Amino acid sequence: MQVYLPIAEMSVDALLLLGIGFGVGWLSGLFGVGGGFLLTPLLMLIGIPSAVAVASGANQTLGASVSGLIAQWRRGNVDWRMGLTLFAGGLLGSALGVQIFALLKRWGQVDVAVSLFYVVILGIVGALMVRESVTALLRRRRGTAPRRKLHEHTWLHGLPFKLRFRDSRLYISVIPPLVIGFGIGLLSAIMGVGGGFMLVPAMIYILGMPTAIVIGTSLFQVVFVSANVTLLQAWQVGSVDIVLTMLLLVGGVAGAQFGAAMGTKLRGEETRALLGLLVLSVAIGLAWNLLQTPSRAFTISPIS
Amino acid sequence: MKAFARILCVLGCLLGGGMASASPITAELSTDRVEISTGFTGASVLVFGATQNPLGGDPPEDLIVVATGPTQGVVVRRKINVLGIWLNGPSTRFPEVPGFYALAGTRRVWEILPEEERRQYRLGFDNLRLRSEGTRNPAFRAALLELKQADGRWQEYASPVSRAGERLFSARIAFPDTVQTGDYQIEVLLVRESRVIARQELSLRVERVGTAADIASLARGQPLLYGVLCIVLAALAGWLGSVLFRRN
Repeated sequence: MQVYLPIAEMSVDALLLLGIGFGVGWLSGLFGVGGGFLLTPLLMLIGIPSAVAVASGANQTLGASVSGLIAQWRRGNVDWRMGLTLFAGGLLGSALGVQIFALLKRWGQVDVAVSLFYVVILGIVGALMVRESVTALLRRRRGTAPRRKLHEHTWLHGLPFKLRFRDSRLYISVIPPLVIGFGIGLLSAIMGVGGGFMLVPAMIYILGMPTAIVIGTSLFQVVFVSANVTLLQAWQVGSVDIVLTMLLLVGGVAGAQFGAAMGTKLRGEETRALLGLLVLSVAIGLAWNLLQTPSRAFTISPIS
Repeated sequence: MKAFARILCVLGCLLGGGMASASPITAELSTDRVEISTGFTGASVLVFGATQNPLGGDPPEDLIVVATGPTQGVVVRRKINVLGIWLNGPSTRFPEVPGFYALAGTRRVWEILPEEERRQYRLGFDNLRLRSEGTRNPAFRAALLELKQADGRWQEYASPVSRAGERLFSARIAFPDTVQTGDYQIEVLLVRESRVIARQELSLRVERVGTAADIASLARGQPLLYGVLCIVLAALAGWLGSVLFRRN
């Protein structure tokens, strides 16, 4: 069944979009991530213009993360003060990101730039994830549990503007969360992802937040930053396709429930290793596209 | 149904008073509106009509049908390899190219018309006026032609002008799903002895209707409101979906 996408100005098989939504939703439910990093490249692969893929991907991420945020919030797993601090950085970062995006679009380099961002970010994050989970798996096999310090002091704790984050049991400077929020917001606007897969490790390893409230607080940031990206992309680039978003969401929300049900059967380290491999393979696939000789030496695009 | 009624009416006119009139050619479109709705996958429009003289006569007469869409600006970029990565490199702008162009004929235009006339009526890709800015390199023009043909927006002899009986003719114009909205001109030319002896101009409107039209016009006219709506709709759909699909 073909459906016409009014903003992308093309028709696409609705079942294909539902299927992509379901598949990505299933994986995101399984791994507990938003799945934007899979969705946007897949959309570009089936021929959706990258500007529309990024903007609608951010919109979809918003919808897919809302119910998770509500659930975490009910359980009291959201540190509002930390969430707002991250979001303040995210607001600035995503605003700058959309400007950069608009500029890249004018230069005709959106496709290449988005792919490059994906390759670099996913490559690094995927490699780190795989390494971390493999060492954890090996360590478990050897049966030597590492002794972890309750609280590590680094140069980050010497920064000024300290604030007490009661729910996170932290008394730290607002600068690191602001910078992290900014960075994730920037990437979120350019890549059309929520950024949960980068935010969660950053919160655990850099900020030292307790794992219990990391997911809820990162969802808080993801929901509000992707809302901001949606708004700015719709307003300044004009590339949010609500029909596309809705089709992806219907498939995605259904898939996420099945994925989450299956995810409970997997161990933490194995899940992370699989997720890391998935992230890495997306990065390698996109890198391959950038490196191989294109089938056509020229591209055309309308003058906007 | 509407199209069928039109065809009957036109054929009636042709067979009745049409023969006596001075016009050597009468043509009509199966529809004057192509509507892009949510289920749009492209459209096909029939150009049909009749000639006063039998088409196979002596000297032979030929028919040409040209459809032109609203002009648009296009940038053609050449991919270049920088440190192993393929980037968009040098570009040429074509500020005014037809967004859609389709040519059909009973024969190839170069067989029946001299270059002058072909140029005057812009018949064939070679005779399109494609003014360019930037890198002056014929490769860019060639690439433009190739890419426009690849996505179906420019067509040369994609379908023939077919004849039925002695005087009736028809041609099909196929619009891809990526067709632009706007006014389209369709010209029907009658050629005899290397000259265009009659022409008729028809027009066609491509427009969005229904939900697709509402969404596109809202997104363009009030982008801020549209952005807010997208946020609210996505949030609602996500929340509602998780309630519906909840598995305990």
